[in-house]
Amino acid sequence: MDLNQVSYHYPQQPILLNHISARVPVGHILSIIGPNGAGKSTLLKLMTGIIQPSAGQVQLDGQPISSIPQKQLATKVALVSQQNDIFDDMKVIDVVKTGRLAHHNLLATIADDEVAQYIQATHLDALAQRPMSSLSGGQRQRVWLASALAQDPNYLLLDEPTTYLDIHYQAELMAILSRLNQQKHITVIMVLHDINQAFKISDVLWLVKQGQLVKVAPPAECYDRQLLASIFETNIQIVDVPNYGKYIVEIPEVRAES
Amino acid sequence: MTKSEKVWYPIILVMLVITILFAMMLGASFITPQQMVTAFKGGNPNQLDILINIRFPRILAAMLCGGMLAVAGAASQAAFRNVLADPSILGVTSASDFFILIGAILIPAFPGSKLLFSILGGLFALALLTRGPALKSPYRLIIIGVAMMLTFTGFEQLFANGFGGQTLGSFNGITWSQTEMLLLLGVSGMIAAVIISPWANYLKLSTEQLQTKGVSVSLMRIALLLVVVYLSSGVSSVVGTVPFMGIVVPNVVRYLVGRDYQTIIPLSMLVGAWLLLVVDTIGRIAVLPSELSAAVIMTVIGGPFLILMLQRKNFNGLKSS
Repeated sequence: MDLNQVSYHYPQQPILLNHISARVPVGHILSIIGPNGAGKSTLLKLMTGIIQPSAGQVQLDGQPISSIPQKQLATKVALVSQQNDIFDDMKVIDVVKTGRLAHHNLLATIADDEVAQYIQATHLDALAQRPMSSLSGGQRQRVWLASALAQDPNYLLLDEPTTYLDIHYQAELMAILSRLNQQKHITVIMVLHDINQAFKISDVLWLVKQGQLVKVAPPAECYDRQLLASIFETNIQIVDVPNYGKYIVEIPEVRAES
Repeated sequence: MTKSEKVWYPIILVMLVITILFAMMLGASFITPQQMVTAFKGGNPNQLDILINIRFPRILAAMLCGGMLAVAGAASQAAFRNVLADPSILGVTSASDFFILIGAILIPAFPGSKLLFSILGGLFALALLTRGPALKSPYRLIIIGVAMMLTFTGFEQLFANGFGGQTLGSFNGITWSQTEMLLLLGVSGMIAAVIISPWANYLKLSTEQLQTKGVSVSLMRIALLLVVVYLSSGVSSVVGTVPFMGIVVPNVVRYLVGRDYQTIIPLSMLVGAWLLLVVDTIGRIAVLPSELSAAVIMTVIGGPFLILMLQRKNFNGLKSS
């Protein structure tokens, strides 16, 4: 997947993304980080074809995404969105099955067996017959992930998948994503709020600020205090934690004693 | 089949059979089961005539209309993602009635004009409802719908002067040919609804979700709404408006068997058939020798039902789309 000079602005609004060009590394985990309002989620939506760039092009296998039929695109790119409301209650397994619609006609009956592997991969076996309304936030997030996986995509996009999860579920979700990436070679593209999580799990980082792609590099090259401080407009320290490695902390500016 | 389905299908079927039997017996003249057997054996031509040409078509018509309106209600609720979205509350049926009247004024002797204008009216109302911001806010949808209902009813009354407009839904004096018409419309429409009932479930996901799964929301929504118009206009063109069926029945069914439209739609068909048959039978015998129309009784049941639903503390059927 390639982004060629992609710009985007909502109607009557100032420009949100400005001439972004980059290549998504196939088979790797890519995280997009940056402050709120930098355009991260919009970037993700552009890559799913839900919205079209105001200028420039998103290409998939050399073809502009806008020219690929929605259904065909759904077999290649799946999105786990930040807001996953449902209007009425559904069983977990039925939500997962909707992901298979990308591969069937709309009236097809989808067998339970067909989604068993996605339910297993996301540890939902015990919950498969439960209604969504009885699940916790972390469990629900796994259902949406399973439903996206059921599309059998090459690219899995996730918009802040850990935001509403407690630390335990965050770690669990990250472990699932790593495994999917390693075993099934799915390219994972995430917007992550937690910088340290992003640094730890990703192969490549995109650092975004005010609609510009500031830096594209592996995490090891991004432990740059000055750079991170300028992106997040706050005072950043990088500390060494035994048995973990580098850890980025935000420390408020201490006024020098006069 | 889930456990609750296994319980409720047979219960409803038994209730339906019992109610049919009572409806055959009750009326201006009471006919006992024994007399029925005698009549069918050719022993009493008068009673046979009452049973076959008056009571039976009426029973069948009431059941068909009940099923049609209940299924239309369920499909409409799914399409609008709103458990209160009943064609009668949204003004779809009153638009149909108004258009039928216009049709009667413009081309009085045109065959099939009632059904044609009824469908045109329903489509017109839906076109208004699915444009603009009505779809974005569930409460706004209902308020706009009620406003449309009142508007079309007002226009109908305005034009009806001298033309004797459409009456409130009643099965009084229904003929076999009308019942056959209902049979044709009802069976075809309800089969279509059952076939596309999985779409009603898919529409529970957000538009963005469905889009990224390669599924067209507008295709599914339009298909469901066409079924809604077909069924509710079919009833309007033959017997007139019977309100609230489409809100009472699917919500009761939802309470009984859960929220899977692949169960809600077929079971609503049976419960709707049963309820309207009960209502019509009570209307036939409550104020003998006169009658209460099914529409009046349904208004008296449906109005309070709607109020109760909205006043329930844990009412969470409305989320914005």
